[in-house]
Amino acid sequence: MTGLVVTGWSSITAAGVGEAPPLEPLPAARVTDLFEEALPEESAPVLTGFDVRAHLGRKGTGSYDRATALATTACGEALKAGSVEVNDATRGRIGVVLGTTVGSFRSTSDYSRDTLVQEKPYLVNPLLFPNTVMNCAAGQAAIRHGLKGVNSTVAGGPLAFHQALRYAANALERGYADVMLVGCVEEYSPHRAWQTAAARRSGPTGEGTAVFVVERADAARRPGSTVQAEVLAVATAFGWGDAAADALAGCVLRVLREAGVTAGEVTAVATGDAQEYEPAARALGHRPERVTVSELYGQCDAATGGLSLGALLGRRLGGVALLTARTRDGGVGAALVRGPS
Amino acid sequence: MTALILGGATLTSLGDGAATFTALLAGDAGPVPLAHGDPGRLRVTRGHHVPDGDPNTPFRASGWLTRCVREALDASAVDPARTRVACVVGSGLRELAAVELLDPRAVPVQRLHFAHAVRRAAPEIGEVVTVSNACSAGGHALALAQDMVELGDADAVVVAATDAMTESMLAMIGRVADEPTDRVRPFDAGRTGVLLGEGAAAFVIVAEGSHRPDQRGAALARVLATGLSCDAHHETAPSAEGIGRAMRDAYHRAGRRPRETGLVLAHGTGTALNDPTECAALRDVLVADGGDPLITGVKGAVGHTSGVAALTSLDVALRCLRTGRVPPITGLRTPLPEGKDLRLLIGEPAPTPGGLVQLDAFGFGGVNAVTLLERP
Repeated sequence: MTGLVVTGWSSITAAGVGEAPPLEPLPAARVTDLFEEALPEESAPVLTGFDVRAHLGRKGTGSYDRATALATTACGEALKAGSVEVNDATRGRIGVVLGTTVGSFRSTSDYSRDTLVQEKPYLVNPLLFPNTVMNCAAGQAAIRHGLKGVNSTVAGGPLAFHQALRYAANALERGYADVMLVGCVEEYSPHRAWQTAAARRSGPTGEGTAVFVVERADAARRPGSTVQAEVLAVATAFGWGDAAADALAGCVLRVLREAGVTAGEVTAVATGDAQEYEPAARALGHRPERVTVSELYGQCDAATGGLSLGALLGRRLGGVALLTARTRDGGVGAALVRGPS
Repeated sequence: MTALILGGATLTSLGDGAATFTALLAGDAGPVPLAHGDPGRLRVTRGHHVPDGDPNTPFRASGWLTRCVREALDASAVDPARTRVACVVGSGLRELAAVELLDPRAVPVQRLHFAHAVRRAAPEIGEVVTVSNACSAGGHALALAQDMVELGDADAVVVAATDAMTESMLAMIGRVADEPTDRVRPFDAGRTGVLLGEGAAAFVIVAEGSHRPDQRGAALARVLATGLSCDAHHETAPSAEGIGRAMRDAYHRAGRRPRETGLVLAHGTGTALNDPTECAALRDVLVADGGDPLITGVKGAVGHTSGVAALTSLDVALRCLRTGRVPPITGLRTPLPEGKDLRLLIGEPAPTPGGLVQLDAFGFGGVNAVTLLERP
């Protein structure tokens, strides 16, 4: 893949809108006060008081579900942070790719549930149907910000951000766009909280979004843009069960080779869960500092990779960092990112 | 650069690809009484089901995907154990039908991704990427698959798609139609809306030039390019301008002219908005360049197969190229006023025209994918 540069970014977590994800646990809120439904946990690191209307106004935002509201807001903030001018000359060349698990699990489930429990004719609201389609957030972000380039949604759970980065690299390399917004999003809802609990995963359920403005590293960039990081290489692979660790180590070696970076240059490893660290350290041959998103922000699923990168950029990453990801069905991924020199 | 399609497999309500094409040529296939939910309450009384038993069985979409991927690999004689094979899956609804069973124990969230289903067909397949781009997902998957083989990310890519109808989607189409639709009539003046289909498809593609002579049979078609665009206009209503941009992007990428196209496999959903909008875009881009393509579409016979739609059309296009016959638009009687000057194929099959074949696929979110093919 071609190398990418990040020329702007924004994230939304419990730390706030546009605030970098901190390198410390996010504050937990009493989620039992926020939802009528029963929950498997009393508190979780969710964003309270987020109101999409405060950022995007009332018009057109009424039908947004939370995932769409978070992602669409973050896309706008990232465009601003990167000083991306969206006008009739540029909008056809600006694309969006978002990573997701199932879109808004809540929208999908509630809509489906309505079809089962409402009296006849099923009183489902056709205006809300688009929320159940998993590319809703990407489509709404394009509508809101007038972005007419390639628009895609990659469904890969915790691996989705790595896959979205590769999708963006491909779209830029093949000339589908000049600028891509690459992001990922996950919303907190009782649906996800129960899913996390049913899967017996440790820690609370989290939420958040991060969106990055990326361009080709080897092409002329927009005037006035500032490189905040370089994405040197991204690789994904697969390993069943015990083979997942070897597959992840293999991915790490692959990105080092592709990027032309020595293992000694890697100063930090951002992992989705703590188990990714050992295979990564084995491949590197040393033990750099570890940042683990699930320990700091809860189980953020598809948002994990973007929040990892945000956490690294927020601390003014020096040197090269490795971002790893792993899914429960054996998918693994690695990305190498260099901070500004 | 271009890619070749070596082999494929398709499943629709009418059966496999051969059975589907035979029924399309006969022109009389239609929907059956709806087997999902309560038709009276949904206000949807008919559909195009894959006849494989109880529609409330979870993971039907995954099962179809496994079957099509296996058959496509066999047909193309590509062995994932001996060569680097990746898979791109397009889907609009993924396993939402399983989620609708409302039993979290039955639906582990990781099974909503299709890696599991693909590896049941071929455990050696490396990367599995699921593109969830509504009803143009298959077209977007095809674009990515071509890029991957041409850039050398994989030696071969299985481009696949799968979708099973869901109760929530049925409820939605029931709510937007004035009265229950009896059948899909693409481009008809009296069209009353869409009915859902379901199924899966998979095709193996390789970069042109990497095609080894020992691979069985000749390539089925050359994939020139897929143009992509986003309307950024409305979540559900299509835009002729946005669709036109995807068409122009496809011709630009392929280095070809719109007038070179002889056959269009239209998206043609039989809805109030899609059909006139698609006609306008075809006129703006193809007719304006001096083209006069023959236009057909499949949704009157197999319903709207959601994220599979582009690949359902692809299979029919490959058979048009191979057999020299184009099936008519099932369900079309009187063309809509906006299509009067277009060559919409009514009634009887026609000989396959020379030139390029254009496949249209448009989805919610204003996401458009237009693919160009030709004889290899």
